[in-house]
Amino acid sequence: MARLALRGIVRDYGTLRVIHGIDLDVAEGEFVVFVGPSGCGKSTLLRMIAGLDKPTGGDIEIDGIRVNDRSAAERGLAMVFQSYALYPHMTVRQNLAFGLENQRMPRAEIDRRIADAARMLQIEHLLARKPGQLSGGQRQRVAIGRTVTREPGIFLFDEPLSNLDAELRVQMRVELSQLHKRLRATMIYVTHDQTEAMTMADRIVVLRAGRLEQAGSPLALYNHPANRFVAGFIGSPRMNFLPATVSPNGVRVDGLDELALERFAVAQGAAVSLGVRPEHFEFVDAGGLPGTVDLVEHMGGESYVYVTLANGERITVRRPGQTGLVGGSNVRAAVLQGQAHLFHTSEGEAAVARL
Amino acid sequence: MRAALARLIDWPFEALQRALGAARMPYVFVLPNLLVFGIFVVLPMLLNIWYATTSGAELMPGQRPFTGLANFAELLDCGNYLNVASCRQDRFWRSVDNTLWFVAFQVITMVVLSLITALVLNRKMALRGFFRAVFFYPVLLSPVVVALIWKWILQPDGVLNAILVANGGQRVPFLLDPSWSFFWTVVVSVWAHMGFYVLILLAGLQAIPPDLYEAAAMDGTPQWRVFWRITLPLLMPNMAVVLVLGLIRAVQAFDEIYVLTGGGPGTATQYIVQYIYETAFAGQVHIMGLAAAASMLVGGVLLVLTLLQLLASARAKQ
Repeated sequence: MARLALRGIVRDYGTLRVIHGIDLDVAEGEFVVFVGPSGCGKSTLLRMIAGLDKPTGGDIEIDGIRVNDRSAAERGLAMVFQSYALYPHMTVRQNLAFGLENQRMPRAEIDRRIADAARMLQIEHLLARKPGQLSGGQRQRVAIGRTVTREPGIFLFDEPLSNLDAELRVQMRVELSQLHKRLRATMIYVTHDQTEAMTMADRIVVLRAGRLEQAGSPLALYNHPANRFVAGFIGSPRMNFLPATVSPNGVRVDGLDELALERFAVAQGAAVSLGVRPEHFEFVDAGGLPGTVDLVEHMGGESYVYVTLANGERITVRRPGQTGLVGGSNVRAAVLQGQAHLFHTSEGEAAVARL
Repeated sequence: MRAALARLIDWPFEALQRALGAARMPYVFVLPNLLVFGIFVVLPMLLNIWYATTSGAELMPGQRPFTGLANFAELLDCGNYLNVASCRQDRFWRSVDNTLWFVAFQVITMVVLSLITALVLNRKMALRGFFRAVFFYPVLLSPVVVALIWKWILQPDGVLNAILVANGGQRVPFLLDPSWSFFWTVVVSVWAHMGFYVLILLAGLQAIPPDLYEAAAMDGTPQWRVFWRITLPLLMPNMAVVLVLGLIRAVQAFDEIYVLTGGGPGTATQYIVQYIYETAFAGQVHIMGLAAAASMLVGGVLLVLTLLQLLASARAKQ
């Protein structure tokens, strides 16, 4: 197992800067997920770690040794590609053996590693087949198997589940988490899907436009987002944001009554964004924010209620269990005590306070 | 305006459809093409079979006496197939022999050179588009132009000899010596046709997903192993197409070589198509029967090669 350090990583394409100085330490055995919208630089960052792309500035260190000038192979990493990148003309066994043969490893050792990986990933019966004869999920396992046989210092995953259907994705998510526990390997995983990030990561790194927005455990990011972007990106359905103004006893949501909130250190009259997660609204008889139900989605175990407030803003409310509300119902939505987030509307939309 | 124009064109078709019924209309649309194909492809083929099975110097098909397979028997009549001189039609066998050597050298040289060129042109390099065009350009030239350009270079007082002499060398009779002459027919033919095959191989190379090369890089694969284990196997369908198309075209080689060497010196560079042409049209007596029989034999060989080509491209599609 290896640890990784990024020191001021910068990447330019011509005059365009796509990575703006990233610093990050990944501990031995840690499962770190890079997450962000497309174009945020997460794949570029992974490719630079892999050695498939070179940083314009900064240092990449593996186990304290600078590896910027080492080739992909010399870094002792293995990668699962989004497309799987299996060699289509080779059997599964040949695919698994190919990288090991490059190292001139003895045949017996190669066979042992393939047998181990095949057993672990339940692909023993597929070894004689070619990738074209496999289903998406099976190809995925083979691609993971190819990295496992390499016994790399760090596993890299580039959106490995994005080509699978929803059911298989959930299943592979669980299996990858189990693989991580079993191998206790350092893993870096790139995805645009915050659910994958939340469910698998020891630590999530949220990227936007080539900048690191926040790094932390899934729940730390969920409960204490550093800014409005992270708050909106982590969590599904996403957080509701309402334009508001700081008032003497709390905040006044634009066009509506004042919401009484505890005091916080922002000048009165300042424009802020009030962030409330769907599960942190409750419906009350008096007070709260008045609105009309547009639509109710019944999940069975919970219900999503889409509400248009009297000021025209739309919010999503998640209620446990089943609700009798229907479209057109008049409701009043109140924020649960201590569950509101306030964000600046400027200054990078940083979090002001949690109330 | 457009509606008026459409009405103008419509009426004959509407009249035809009323007369024939809608079900027969597709045949009406196919008819012009069938006529052209029939007159310029099917009819000549039938005529060729007739000429091959008749003899004499008469041109009109009706005046030629039927002789069955006599022309084929004459062509294939050999004391010893390894000794051209023992054959009754030794010029035919000499041109077959020449053609076999030509095909072997030309096809191997061309496949190897096309592959190397495609590999180089597939790399990231300056002026890549320009070089791709340069290698394809000869394909666009008329074969006669190709031959005249090279004649200008190779003739006794040509460019190449001028350079040799200027550097203190001796003049070389490039087109008057049998071995040199053969060598240059191969070179010129490769030069003229290579661009087409480079294009096919380049398309194949570009169809190989770049991810595979990145996976190979992560696997620490040496360059030569990437070529032998990844690039070449994945390029095999295209290579098969190139090989078979190249074979077919090499067997058919005629125009640029006829203009370049005229088949000479002697019959050193006389290939099979030239034999057919000269037997039928160039000699004092036009021996149509033998020429037609020889072209049917060549046609048979090409048919086999074409089937191979269809097989290869069907596999390429998979």
